[in-house]
Amino acid sequence: MRRRDLLARGALYTVLGLGLLVVVGPFLWAVLSSMKPEAEIRRIPATWWPEVFTLGNYRELLSRLDFPQAFANSAIVAVLTTLGNLAFCSLLGYALAKLRFPGKRALFLVVLGTLMVPSMVTFVPQFVMVSNLGLVNSYGGLILPFLATPFGVFLMRQYLLSIPDELIEAARVDGAGELRIFARVVMPLCGPALATLTILTFLASWNNFLWPLVVATTEDRYTLPVALALYSVGQNRIDYGLVLAGAVAVLLPVVIVFVLLQRHFLRGIATTGLK
Amino acid sequence: MTRHRRLGTAAMLAAVLVLGACGRDSGGGGDAAQPVAEGKATGEITVWAMGTEGEKLGAFAQEFMAENPDAKVNVTAVPWDAAHQKIASAIAGRQTPDVSMLGSTWMGEFAKTGALDPTPEGVDRGAFFPGAWDTTVVDGTSYGVPWYVETRLIYYRKDLAAKAGVSAPTTWDELKSFATAMRDKGGAKWGMNLQPGGTGSWQSFMPFAWSNGADLTEGDAFTLDSPQMTEALAYYQSFFTEKLSPPTDLSLQGALEQSFVNGSLAAFISGPWHVSLLNEQGGAGFADKFAVAAMPRKQSATSFVGGSDLAVFKDAGNRDGAWKFVSWLSRPEVQIKWYQTVSDLPAVQGAWSDPALSGDPILATFGEQLKDAKSPPAIPTWEQVAAVIDGEVEKVAKSNADPAATARTMQQRASGIGTGA
Amino acid sequence: MATATATAPAEATAPAGASRPYRIRQGLAGWAFATPFTVLFLLFMAVPVVASLVMSVTDLRSTDLRTPFAVEFVGVDNYARLLDDAQFRRAALNTAVFVVVGVPLTMAVGLAAASALNSGLVRFRAAFRVGFYLPVVTSIVALAVVWRFLLDPEAGLVNNALRVVGVEGPNWLGDSDLALPSIIAMAVWRNFGFLMVIFLAGLQAIPTELYESSRLDGAGRWAQFRHITVPLLRPTLLFGGVVTSIGYLQLFEEPLVMTRGGPLDSTLSVSYHIYNQFGFGNYGYAAAVSYVLFAVIVGLSVLQFRLLGSRD
Repeated sequence: MRRRDLLARGALYTVLGLGLLVVVGPFLWAVLSSMKPEAEIRRIPATWWPEVFTLGNYRELLSRLDFPQAFANSAIVAVLTTLGNLAFCSLLGYALAKLRFPGKRALFLVVLGTLMVPSMVTFVPQFVMVSNLGLVNSYGGLILPFLATPFGVFLMRQYLLSIPDELIEAARVDGAGELRIFARVVMPLCGPALATLTILTFLASWNNFLWPLVVATTEDRYTLPVALALYSVGQNRIDYGLVLAGAVAVLLPVVIVFVLLQRHFLRGIATTGLK
Repeated sequence: MTRHRRLGTAAMLAAVLVLGACGRDSGGGGDAAQPVAEGKATGEITVWAMGTEGEKLGAFAQEFMAENPDAKVNVTAVPWDAAHQKIASAIAGRQTPDVSMLGSTWMGEFAKTGALDPTPEGVDRGAFFPGAWDTTVVDGTSYGVPWYVETRLIYYRKDLAAKAGVSAPTTWDELKSFATAMRDKGGAKWGMNLQPGGTGSWQSFMPFAWSNGADLTEGDAFTLDSPQMTEALAYYQSFFTEKLSPPTDLSLQGALEQSFVNGSLAAFISGPWHVSLLNEQGGAGFADKFAVAAMPRKQSATSFVGGSDLAVFKDAGNRDGAWKFVSWLSRPEVQIKWYQTVSDLPAVQGAWSDPALSGDPILATFGEQLKDAKSPPAIPTWEQVAAVIDGEVEKVAKSNADPAATARTMQQRASGIGTGA
Repeated sequence: MATATATAPAEATAPAGASRPYRIRQGLAGWAFATPFTVLFLLFMAVPVVASLVMSVTDLRSTDLRTPFAVEFVGVDNYARLLDDAQFRRAALNTAVFVVVGVPLTMAVGLAAASALNSGLVRFRAAFRVGFYLPVVTSIVALAVVWRFLLDPEAGLVNNALRVVGVEGPNWLGDSDLALPSIIAMAVWRNFGFLMVIFLAGLQAIPTELYESSRLDGAGRWAQFRHITVPLLRPTLLFGGVVTSIGYLQLFEEPLVMTRGGPLDSTLSVSYHIYNQFGFGNYGYAAAVSYVLFAVIVGLSVLQFRLLGSRD
């Protein structure tokens, strides 16, 4: 038994290790290459370790764009969008999964339906709406349209379906109100789902490009990806060094958020009492 | 922002659902150019410009503000990526700036929305390269001025040419023997890179069609199935059947410059931006190894002219100031300074006599070529027709499609799209 | 929110439909919970969706954007035009191949990774999780730079590796037979980490007692996987399958940055076709294609709900 376990473990590590190599290898190359001069990045065959080590790409990005401002805009937009999604999507997800109310099925189908509408088709009407509401070039215009994401509702509903009804019924018997049940009984059980929703929403918002580009009409409202695109992709040339350095600069905070959330992710499960 | 129009979209939509669609105004009425007030510019002028232009224009405009102390130019830099989408959305939401830089092939589409202000009287069209000016003219009315231009030339390796014993080609026949010699005697794997289809390959192909006397349109009709077009397609195809040109798009894989630098590619067609790219990637001394040559002659030696125009929007809050800023940017001396700031080639012919441009042999060749360079017609459907040409050129280059049949397909597909008139 | 906090009466435990006041109270609570989302949803999703639906039955072009109400109503003409659009047919075929091959592949890799990390055998789980998730979070433009170098026919890492074993690798992205498979590989590589995270959340909700008791009954790991993991993971698998299918049916970014839909339209997807049509300014037609794609997505999702779903 123990030997089989050991073998299984060995095989597992080998497969996972190889997988990790395949997945992370390109990133290592991207990170290393962001510290090469442009000519070396483009050289064929490509080099792994920089022959000429330079921070020039980063220095150029920092000197050309208002990094603190763009970073702050991205952070404000991503954090508020994430908080809003956590609140609104879990509220509706809970109602759809656990409460009976008239119009529930229709509401679910409509929300699920819009999840399937290709986003390109609603782009211009959405912008006209934001424009008519006077939200162009405001944080409201950058955030509000992303607070009602059908995806989040779908995710929360699916997860909440797996929570036993008995828990909720028991709380009702104890005389708890619906909001109290939601906040004190149900939400603490949703750690993994909320962590997942946080990661996905934060990332989607953080990496979003087209919407902030169109809604922000002055540079002081540009988010990080928009500001970075300003210098790396020209009409007739792409500056790979700046692209890679920009990608690393965008990626870093996200990886940090992800690593931090990992812990909560695990703690969330530990405190649910399910384990 | 537009307070009186803060009508809920829902309400308008409901109205449309009830009333049904109202149908287009027939004709729409010719736009009449309004004069611009005399005197200095005043007030805030909001400007959108893409990429490097957007990055540098703000500081560059200081001088304009010094001349016009009551005016304030606010430039927003817009990434090239999706700039078209941003402007289209801004038009739909009525959130346009006063002035915007527009890609020269976008003019037909945006002018047709009715969002652009016709160029006022007093702007001297003769000052600009004619091919560039044509990009601003939609249905006989001009909607802006060319800001900077670019045109396509042949880049070739001088050292390989010397080894192969050939000099820069001047005719179609010479180009073919030039490419053959570069490959057979010069030691290159590919004698000449022509774009084998894919986005933008019309810019590589059309110079041959134009040089052979073919035209894209006559009046409102396409003329893509002319014998001249077929002949140009056949000539283009021969570079692929004779294995002179690589069948895969080197530029898409980011390998064009490297192939040229390492000598496996002897020549290619591109615009002025490649000078700095090659110098960066070729390293020290590479500048001595390449040169540029004008497009080879058949009936004519015509190239493609692209670049960007400057347009003022009808919804501009400061129309007069906007046009004053645009005409300031079109002054020859300002165009020279702008070239020195961002290396954009001046669209104003007068600027080219300056030694900064005429003294450089490579730039001088570009300047010469600009005198015989065409742009596609400024029609709103151009991007779609261009994609048809790109797709059909790809079939000619890669699947050995018959040139005459291809020309007919191009004509048929383009006619299906129409000129949007 | 007052209704939501109201104390539920004792008969709350009564079978459904037992008490009218209880049902009303729950109905009010339900809508109170739903309202914040629904208001924003109506404004920023529902109205634009309806507007775009209207768009799809008009001949709206980008040249009409300033006067969107001055267009002609063309009924189903845009939809009828689809049938004659050879490029659309090619795009539909490419997309179908991409979905049919790509979705199961991505789900299998994602589930394998999640199961491995959840098995309790592996340490440094966080490192693996972050590693596998990296492609999901990185901008596609940067990935494209890397992948182009990996797949370069002359000097790419992939063909260099093949050369070591004596095989001359093909031109992955330049060959019209191999470009789509290459795009599928890239999509699996890029997206399986997303499913891994979703599946992990689902796996961790499965009580470990179940595994322990089945082990006492002598069940092997494979049997446990089949009889405990898969059935209990069903809602999560359904979610993952639906979301991945929805995403994959809208394949767009990979061909945009890697191949521009070529060579010879071999990687042109339906979404790319829509993107092109919007770019060309054919808003009405592009909207119609979008809603055909929408119908297919709905159809596939319903099918998946039927096959994988329980009573929901």
